[in-house]
Amino acid sequence: MIDGWTLATIVLMGSVTYLTRIGGYLLLGGRELSTRTMTVLEAAPGCVLIAVIAPAFVSGRVSDLIALAVTAVAAARLSLLPTVLIGIGSAGLLRHLLG
Amino acid sequence: MRASAPVLIGLVPAALVLGAQATGKGLAPLAVPLMTGLNFAGGSEFAAVGLWTSPPHLLLIVGVTLLVNSRHLVMGATLAPWLRHLPRRQVLPALFLMVDESWAMALADAKTSHAGKFEPAFSLRYFLGVSAGVYVSWVGFTALGALLGPVLGDIERWGFDMAFPAVFLVLMRGMWKGFGAAVPWLVSLVVAAGVHLMIPGGWYVPAGAAAGIAVAWITALP
Repeated sequence: MIDGWTLATIVLMGSVTYLTRIGGYLLLGGRELSTRTMTVLEAAPGCVLIAVIAPAFVSGRVSDLIALAVTAVAAARLSLLPTVLIGIGSAGLLRHLLG
Repeated sequence: MRASAPVLIGLVPAALVLGAQATGKGLAPLAVPLMTGLNFAGGSEFAAVGLWTSPPHLLLIVGVTLLVNSRHLVMGATLAPWLRHLPRRQVLPALFLMVDESWAMALADAKTSHAGKFEPAFSLRYFLGVSAGVYVSWVGFTALGALLGPVLGDIERWGFDMAFPAVFLVLMRGMWKGFGAAVPWLVSLVVAAGVHLMIPGGWYVPAGAAAGIAVAWITALP
């Protein structure tokens, strides 16, 4: 079952996301955005995503660092499914080999 | 809806991984389609599940959702000139379904069919067709992933946790605008990693993101 706190979190997530969807159309649609605002708005999502996975970079395991590097190279060249498989495979294998 | 077929195939593995990871983090199987159906923005759902605890940190997760989805503001603003001929009572509900894929495809479709004018070129039907396909398969396959998750559970030991960084890195590749534009990301990574080592809890995410956004603001010349 879904508890109230989880439900509240999910409903609020949906609400702020909907606000971002209509906000650009309602508030910014009529005017030119400055290049600076555009740059910041374009950089923000990547900043959050990399921050979420930052702990993986400082886990203190050499195997994880190598696996991350391998995964990053895969991500730059391949589509989602092969990248995920390479990420899982390299992490599993390297942990097994290097401990 | 037929036009969205290649997109749909690409999103199936991501949806399955998200659903499986979500139940692994303690979300009820029913909560997964609820989240993906109400929120319907993959990047923020991966971020939310990555930070999920039982009970979840509401402010942190909602704040991170807002930041990841801030790019919708740019997307909505670029779409606005193409929507002037449509009444708001149609546009506002339709925008609920705006995702990277439907936005990009509808905009491309409008640009190829427009004859020097913005107005009639944008096809709401085309936009809704692509969006509906993405919506049904995203919610459906994340729900399926949530049901399969417990079955796959013990694969986690074998490096399954690397699926998250892998998905995120692919998402970021899609946002890549060159090394200069990636400097804020690097700053965010370094600050987030540092804060993670020093302060327990999920606060490394807003700290890193805030540092990265500040650098983006400072380095982007007005």
